[in-house]
Amino acid sequence: MNKRFYGAHPLRLTIKALGWIIALLWIITLILPISVVFSLMKLAEGKNMGIQEPIFSLSNGNLSLTIPLYINNTGFYDISEVSVKIKISKANTAIATLSKNLPDIPAGCMINASCNFSASLNEIFQRHSTLLTEDADLDVDAALHFRVARAIAFNITQNFPTRWGAPFQNLTVYDVAYNTTAHVFSFSISFNNHAFFSINEPLTIELYNSGSEKVGSTFWSLNVPSGESFQGLIEVNVDPAKMTESGFIRLFFGGLKIFEEGWTLP
Amino acid sequence: MSELEPRPSRRKLGIRVARAFLLTAASGVFWLVIWFLTSMLLANFPNYQTLFTVLAWGLLFFTFAIALAEGTIYKYLLIIIRAFFLIVYLAYATNSGTLTINFKNFTLTVEFVPLLALMIVINLLDIARGLLQAIEFAAQSPKD
Repeated sequence: MNKRFYGAHPLRLTIKALGWIIALLWIITLILPISVVFSLMKLAEGKNMGIQEPIFSLSNGNLSLTIPLYINNTGFYDISEVSVKIKISKANTAIATLSKNLPDIPAGCMINASCNFSASLNEIFQRHSTLLTEDADLDVDAALHFRVARAIAFNITQNFPTRWGAPFQNLTVYDVAYNTTAHVFSFSISFNNHAFFSINEPLTIELYNSGSEKVGSTFWSLNVPSGESFQGLIEVNVDPAKMTESGFIRLFFGGLKIFEEGWTLP
Repeated sequence: MSELEPRPSRRKLGIRVARAFLLTAASGVFWLVIWFLTSMLLANFPNYQTLFTVLAWGLLFFTFAIALAEGTIYKYLLIIIRAFFLIVYLAYATNSGTLTINFKNFTLTVEFVPLLALMIVINLLDIARGLLQAIEFAAQSPKD
């Protein structure tokens, strides 16, 4: 009797305890993913998530995109490590990569946040300056990452094509003239703003003679809303001593050369 | 020895085999129900059918073998081997806890490494329990 109590019993107890622990852990392991799926289904139903109208803006040479959003976590678990990543590429060459981390969303809480992406025009268009003057087909890779119950992480990625509208589509310089009395060089420019943002940055115009010497330059304030056309006459005061019968015009936008074309006086 | 532990009669062996068959059949029905419930939902997982078949047939084999080895030390050995099989299977089938489903231009990746770690721990505990049960079984005198 004594031998049974002091010898065999502790081992049996350990085996029994292990059995209970194993059963309990299997229940937790099976219930957790099922409850996470139900939690996500609860979150997805109704109007628990929403994205408001994105706002695009261009200022100080920076292109900004703001997407206001709200999430009402009606699920059972906290949502953490929420991040959004957007990669824009053209012909497999990355143009811009934007990423944003969002705050954690505890269960039963609602958050209002906004995804703010900002990139400098120089960064975006340095290698793809033609995007400023030519419409193009771009590829967008959007990725959403989040972790539920701090145990299961989800990563949703979607790839879709998008049409890029150039802000200076069909940029044309014409009607070149030179007033020899006032020493003013004039020409007309026109373009269509196909971009999703308004152009309100100044345009820099530089005029060169046939010897590649700068003969004059000026700034032109632009305010062209998205989808509108622009047509205007630009006048540049020139140095008459350097003036020749032909040369070339360079147009700069946000510090980037967007146009270069030769001119010949009529 | 032979006096203390009489050789199991053919009838006893037959009962044991029949019991093992019944248990395996019941497990088979269970896995069939699981298959019907999950095949529609998880059809997009790569190699789902193959992986499910390996798991179901593997566990059916162990159910049969463990039931057949009832009352012998081989039962505990088989429990330990089953736990090892599950560890290897879970790590392989879940791609070390990261599953990816590809749709047309949409990819969903589910990463559950902590959950997989928990499953491995459970199986390690199962191995420990199997070892203890084997020790206890070996320590028992025929009288016990």
